[in-house]
Amino acid sequence: MKQLFTTLSVIASILAVILSVLPVSNLAIFPSAVALIFGLIAFYLSKKTGKVKKIIQFSFLLTIMALLLTTYKAVFNETEVGNTEILAETEEASKEEAIEELEELELEELDIE
Amino acid sequence: MNRVLLVLFFCAMYSIYGQNSAVAAGEKLVYTASYNMSGVLNDIAQVTLETSNVKTSKATLLHLKCKAVTYSKWDNFFKIRDLYESYVNPKTLTPYLYKRDINEGGYAKNVKYTFSHKTNTVKTVQTKKDWVEKKDVKINSGTRDIVSTLYKIRLFDFESMQVNAKTSFTIIFDRKEIKAQITYLGKETISTAIGSKTCYKIAVGSNESGVLKGNRDNVVWLTADANKIMVYGKFKIPVGNGELKIKSATGLKN
Repeated sequence: MKQLFTTLSVIASILAVILSVLPVSNLAIFPSAVALIFGLIAFYLSKKTGKVKKIIQFSFLLTIMALLLTTYKAVFNETEVGNTEILAETEEASKEEAIEELEELELEELDIE
Repeated sequence: MNRVLLVLFFCAMYSIYGQNSAVAAGEKLVYTASYNMSGVLNDIAQVTLETSNVKTSKATLLHLKCKAVTYSKWDNFFKIRDLYESYVNPKTLTPYLYKRDINEGGYAKNVKYTFSHKTNTVKTVQTKKDWVEKKDVKINSGTRDIVSTLYKIRLFDFESMQVNAKTSFTIIFDRKEIKAQITYLGKETISTAIGSKTCYKIAVGSNESGVLKGNRDNVVWLTADANKIMVYGKFKIPVGNGELKIKSATGLKN
């Protein structure tokens, strides 16, 4: 049982670290919570039997790192649009091309002022 | 007498659904598209809806433009630079030319539809890399592209609609006609970035497989004023929800 919770806690903490470095860093909260809960259970069970394994502390460390990184990104990273120069050029070219095409259409029959 | 009534009915319908009283040139609506999983939001892209006038030697048309751009943090993973455009009649929002230029994670496609409402046909040109495909598609009367449909919904008179009233329309997308339906769900006041707004709550759905499946899974909120701008949208996706929230609205007609 102790082994199972330790393994699950480590897996969840690794997942939390992976998610925290990705753009979906906010989602790292879920595996972090799971890692903390399983880690605490594993810690409690280990303490009951005597020796607490270093791997449980390592899982806590990973989880805290993931949570710190997630919090930092959520507070300090502003969501801003990337480089749109090419899109702006596409827009301009598309509009010019569209005007040429619209000139060829029979708009006079379509009741426009 | 019956004919007179029929003409009057169509005139009334035209005045309700036909005339553009909500959309003007110079309007700019900016949205944030997010992914919501159990209340945790992840902003993915910025969606901008813009209108402007386009003058040709024969007429002045309304240019409807929809842009989707991923936020910089996503650009290294899955960069999106999408541009959807429609050139429409400023009075009725009937489309004449529709253009779609998408670039999604390296997948690029360019689509152009030229509408001929006299013959109910659409000339389509689809370009993928260097491969150009031309095809003429027969459409039903009243079929529109997706961008002009987005704006056309704003011309509906929801005030006179009963709760759960349905309206159907046809959209041409990927050279196929798709039957879509909106259901008016009533009024609701919601808090948005541009203030607290009383809105018309509308469910958008389609019977086609894979497109806006379900009846109440995709819901949009349009302001219950003369502009009827979309301030919030919720869309069901396999895990969690997709959300579209308004960031700013400028140049509104009313």
